[in-house]
Amino acid sequence: MAEQVLSGSIPAGSKPAVTRWSGTLVPRLITGLAIVLVWEIVVRAVAPAYVAKPSTVVLAIPRVLTDPTFQKAFGETLLAVAEGLAITIIIGTIFGLLMGRSPTFDRVFRVYINGFNAMPMIVVLPLFSLWFGYSSAARIATIIFAAIFAITMNVADGARSVPREYLEVSRSFRSGRLRALTDIILPASMPYLLAGFRLAAGRALIGAVVAEFFLSVGGLGYYILYNSRSYHHNEAFVGVLLLAAFGVGFELLVNWATRRFMPWYRRDEKQN
Amino acid sequence: MQTTNIRSHAPFWISIISGIALWEVAGRSTSKAFMVPFSETLVRLWQLVVSGDFIEQLLDSAKLFFAGFVLALIVGMPLGMLLARIRTLRIGVEPYIMILYATPMVALIPFILSMMGFGFAPKLLVVFLFAVFPVLYNTVEGARSIKPELIEVAKSFRSSEWALWREVMLPYTLPYTMTGVRQAIGRALVGMIAAEFFLSATGLGQLIMSASQNFDTAGVFASILVIGLLGIGLTRLGLAIEQHFARWRQ
Repeated sequence: MAEQVLSGSIPAGSKPAVTRWSGTLVPRLITGLAIVLVWEIVVRAVAPAYVAKPSTVVLAIPRVLTDPTFQKAFGETLLAVAEGLAITIIIGTIFGLLMGRSPTFDRVFRVYINGFNAMPMIVVLPLFSLWFGYSSAARIATIIFAAIFAITMNVADGARSVPREYLEVSRSFRSGRLRALTDIILPASMPYLLAGFRLAAGRALIGAVVAEFFLSVGGLGYYILYNSRSYHHNEAFVGVLLLAAFGVGFELLVNWATRRFMPWYRRDEKQN
Repeated sequence: MQTTNIRSHAPFWISIISGIALWEVAGRSTSKAFMVPFSETLVRLWQLVVSGDFIEQLLDSAKLFFAGFVLALIVGMPLGMLLARIRTLRIGVEPYIMILYATPMVALIPFILSMMGFGFAPKLLVVFLFAVFPVLYNTVEGARSIKPELIEVAKSFRSSEWALWREVMLPYTLPYTMTGVRQAIGRALVGMIAAEFFLSATGLGQLIMSASQNFDTAGVFASILVIGLLGIGLTRLGLAIEQHFARWRQ
């Protein structure tokens, strides 16, 4: 309400539903249209014909989506990211829980987890290509390396933040350690796990694309690289749009899950 | 004082030393092409430093990093605050910033390569693209946290636009911007290496690439060690900056 007062342009007595729609949707649509228009005009005016512009990208979409090469590339990347993330979540959660609940474990590994997390992950690519060859194994390794430290750190923070009273109550009622883990520690660290997942998913995506660039392993990243090198920018850009959709999709999924399952928890903006 | 200090730091150093020992043992017991012990990595690093190659490449990378990062700040901060001030514009632009923030920017590198070629400008653009969205996104987030009452009060007292920016907007958004700065440091570093890998090979990226192409595993390990330490140092710096400004947050 305060925002409406501030903007001052909405006449008193207009229906709230209408103002809400015209308040957000219209500026967004106008901005989107403006972006597309400026892009189209600028590219038409100054750039060579092969450079992607909205009109030609739109025309390329049905052609690319029905292209079996593209479908195969898309499937490969998706599978690699899913596999990498699954391994990452399992190992990262176990490691994070150990770090969060055991001070000794934490002291031993904290330096390394923090250190690797701060490292720009793509520097390991040349090393991984030496170790695993120019193969999809190197891609999975890159995805895991890119994502695992974010999850581990977040789960460790979450497991550490479990209120001590909860654990004391469970001990007073003689619940076992496993029950305490599954019924108290895991649910209590869920928001952190989700925040870590959001971060990790983004990084896994970057890891997959960079690995495909570097290793020339088939996939969406390689599709983009190959097509932009052969001046098929429009086709390549469809791949970028899909990657963007992935990134936004992960973001929305985690936001939705947080709201749906943990309505009391406000998303922590401090996560990077 | 002295003993508690030693005791609290002891696990850290024990962990570091045992890590190095493990690295040394693993390096000695496997093939040279696979892994190189810590001692050899240090020797190789020293050779690189002495030959002068290393310092030159480091400075080259540093130039790219800072140019891109500063550019991202110069663009991201004022733009974020402008969006904060003009509400309709902010609502209009917000979803697009979110989309760009979540898009893996590396995917744009092939386009930048084929349009701008090799040289400093395309690499600068890559680092800038990696770093600008966290700054922008967090500044806008901060701007949303400004209570409308504050601006109304300032307006009622006939505050000038300049004073409003200086006294309300800046102090309120800065802590959030600094969160963005911390994230941007990490991303700019990734952008720097990516640009050096996939555009014209220069700097630390080139060092690591040529080492791996020559099967100089020691060189690869030496470069990774340095880039890793650089990443840790810069992340620490970012955290310190963020925490310094976090005190302003209410």
